[in-house]
Amino acid sequence: MRMKQLSKIKRFTGYLAILPFLVIVVFYELLPLIRLAIGSLTGKQSHAFGLENFIKIAVTPLYQQSILNSIRISFLSALAGIVIAFLAAHCCGEASSRGKRVFTMILNMTSNFSGVPLAFAFMVLIGNTGILTSLGQRYAIPFLADFNLYSGNGLMITYIYFQIPLATLLLLPSFAGIRPEWREAAEILQARPLDYWARVAIPNLLPGILGTLSVLFANALAAYATAYALVMNNYALLALQITSKFKGDVQIDSATGGALAMVLILLMVFATMTNNYFTKRNLKGRELI
Amino acid sequence: MNKKANIFPRVFLVLVGIYLLLPFGMTLIYSLFVEWTDVLPHGFTLRNYADLFSDAEFWACIGRTLVLCAVSVMLTIFILLLAMYVVIIVDRRLAKFMQLVCMIPYALQGVILSIGIISIYSGTGTILSNRMLMLFGAYTILVLPYIYQGIRNSINAIDVNTLLQAAEMLGCGKFRAYVQVVIPNIFSGILISALLAESIVFGDFVLANNIAGNNYQNIQVFLNRRMFRSSGLASAIVVIIFAVVFIITGLVLKLQGKEREEK
Repeated sequence: MRMKQLSKIKRFTGYLAILPFLVIVVFYELLPLIRLAIGSLTGKQSHAFGLENFIKIAVTPLYQQSILNSIRISFLSALAGIVIAFLAAHCCGEASSRGKRVFTMILNMTSNFSGVPLAFAFMVLIGNTGILTSLGQRYAIPFLADFNLYSGNGLMITYIYFQIPLATLLLLPSFAGIRPEWREAAEILQARPLDYWARVAIPNLLPGILGTLSVLFANALAAYATAYALVMNNYALLALQITSKFKGDVQIDSATGGALAMVLILLMVFATMTNNYFTKRNLKGRELI
Repeated sequence: MNKKANIFPRVFLVLVGIYLLLPFGMTLIYSLFVEWTDVLPHGFTLRNYADLFSDAEFWACIGRTLVLCAVSVMLTIFILLLAMYVVIIVDRRLAKFMQLVCMIPYALQGVILSIGIISIYSGTGTILSNRMLMLFGAYTILVLPYIYQGIRNSINAIDVNTLLQAAEMLGCGKFRAYVQVVIPNIFSGILISALLAESIVFGDFVLANNIAGNNYQNIQVFLNRRMFRSSGLASAIVVIIFAVVFIITGLVLKLQGKEREEK
């Protein structure tokens, strides 16, 4: 009897080790999230519980535009990133091992080049007094001279830039999984290159491509520093609008801000689940935890 | 025909490589010259770096950033290893819960995390409204998914059950077996994920700007403030930031290569 009690107590003390983790997670992850959710469901003036804030977002042009711009820039930059990454990953397979090593090193280096430093580098390059801009003015190249970095187009080129290394790094393993024998087998069976790509390579790469696409989409959606450094709060973008509701010179508006935050969370969860769906199918082997 | 097919991949990779290095390369050159308005820059100078290194505020920001990096990553590793003890030894049913909780921050990212934390704690007048406390809490959550994944992958890669059984047969207690047998076996995995987490904290702007702002400027916030005042100085800061991140990335790659060799 005593033994049983003792082992019960011992078992209970074992659980204590998770306590520090729980405290931090509850205070800095779960409670803030719940607070945002409650704020989003509490009407700004009426203080009534309901979808008032979400309806307000849906009918206000600025917020509509922010959501649409965020989705558009994230999706297009992800798409552009994946096209370049697809070609680069394919070329990597054909390159020498030294060339491949150098290229992967460049990818690893530049995949960390984002946020404020990236925004600044693009200002040096093609900002109002940027190097390419002044060259464009001096030698009359209108595309360079008139390029406005502090706009939707500017955001787009910086976003595409930071998508490329990430996309290529994520796609390389999928390309490594394509065996050269498949191509030989297809050729022996008289398949044209087009047949090979459409029926062998692409179907095998597709889960990797779609998974990567959703990672890139989420990556651009949540990006804040690059956009903030370039356009401050003067552009209708979800991440910028959310932050401006909680910070800065305007009064804190946790109702609208919370609702916008919920929209962003939903989009992020959608992207993350899409990625999980595609990567889980590739996972083999049993895992302990 | 064959030769043509061989040249295209190389040309394409070189072009992408140049494009990727262009923004940083131009910033590096820009930081080393007085003026750059024509095709070539002129007037080589180290003035920007001399100015930066003699700026006390710069060193203060570097110091703050290092404190943030060290404390939050170590704290995350500590609480995760303790929690993993419970998951592995006491009750494996908690694994699913741990995974969910640790992956949520991935969907939140800096924006949602920072505004969630300031909207609940700032201005409450309690100890929780202390900006430093909020910032450390936020960074701990931000790096949680990465360190969790690192620890989880390393645990799945070794045979924990056999190791624990062997240790117990030799008369070792469960906690001691975990600390002295399991943790040393996953150490290199922890180290790699910790370095990755360092580069994330070092590169963070959102949390530092939203939660602490002027009260506790890190290097990224410092850069953002200086950017419009002096582009020469700012370009030197960008070079320094990139150099640090580059060193961390190099270390990660080296460690990863080493680990792969050992297997």
